[in-house]
Amino acid sequence: MVKPTLVTNSIRSLRFANGEMTQADLADRVGVTRQTIIAIEQGKYSPTLEMAFRIARVFRVPLDEAFQYADEQE
Amino acid sequence: MTFLEKSNWVVLVVALPTLLVYVAVVAPQVLGKPIAEVSWVQPMIFAIVGFIVANVLGNVVAAASNPSEADKNDERDREIDHVGERVGNWLIIAGSIAALVLAMTRADHFWIANAIFLGGIAGALLSSVTKIAAYHGSFQRW
Repeated sequence: MVKPTLVTNSIRSLRFANGEMTQADLADRVGVTRQTIIAIEQGKYSPTLEMAFRIARVFRVPLDEAFQYADEQE
Repeated sequence: MTFLEKSNWVVLVVALPTLLVYVAVVAPQVLGKPIAEVSWVQPMIFAIVGFIVANVLGNVVAAASNPSEADKNDERDREIDHVGERVGNWLIIAGSIAALVLAMTRADHFWIANAIFLGGIAGALLSSVTKIAAYHGSFQRW
């Protein structure tokens, strides 16, 4: 439950690049609570693949531009 | 804080005093007189009914404090709820197994009822603590 994830994301920078979209706006558009967006941004929660696609779609970017998976060797 | 997290705080805030008051009422009797003479049925009924009523009232207050959030939950809430319930269920199962063993060994009704009661309350406490910890810490599936 508390193992660190290798999944990182660019949601914060994407929000700012998209008219400084608020976490609440993004949450409404994705259909989740603001607390979940906060947890994802802070790397405390890894969304399902479907939610990850929905987030990427809000910003009109490919999935791997919104989410990245670090190489375990790094 | 989401409504479901508030709801877990309600369980924690209600279950802990319920358990402490029940133990404070019954434990001195257990130490001071034979088990058959201990008055435990009424305190246990009060504790169970009190826990349910206080829990319902607490949830109503939590919902009223932010009505627009009261019916909102998402997959993270559901996953945290699922994990918390699974952890809490271990204590409920432990209480039930203890009750079974006590029944098989013809223990007094007092011990059988209290094994189930304490397992249930402890399970609710552990479940809500687990969920609150998951809300505030890291919760990963990947």
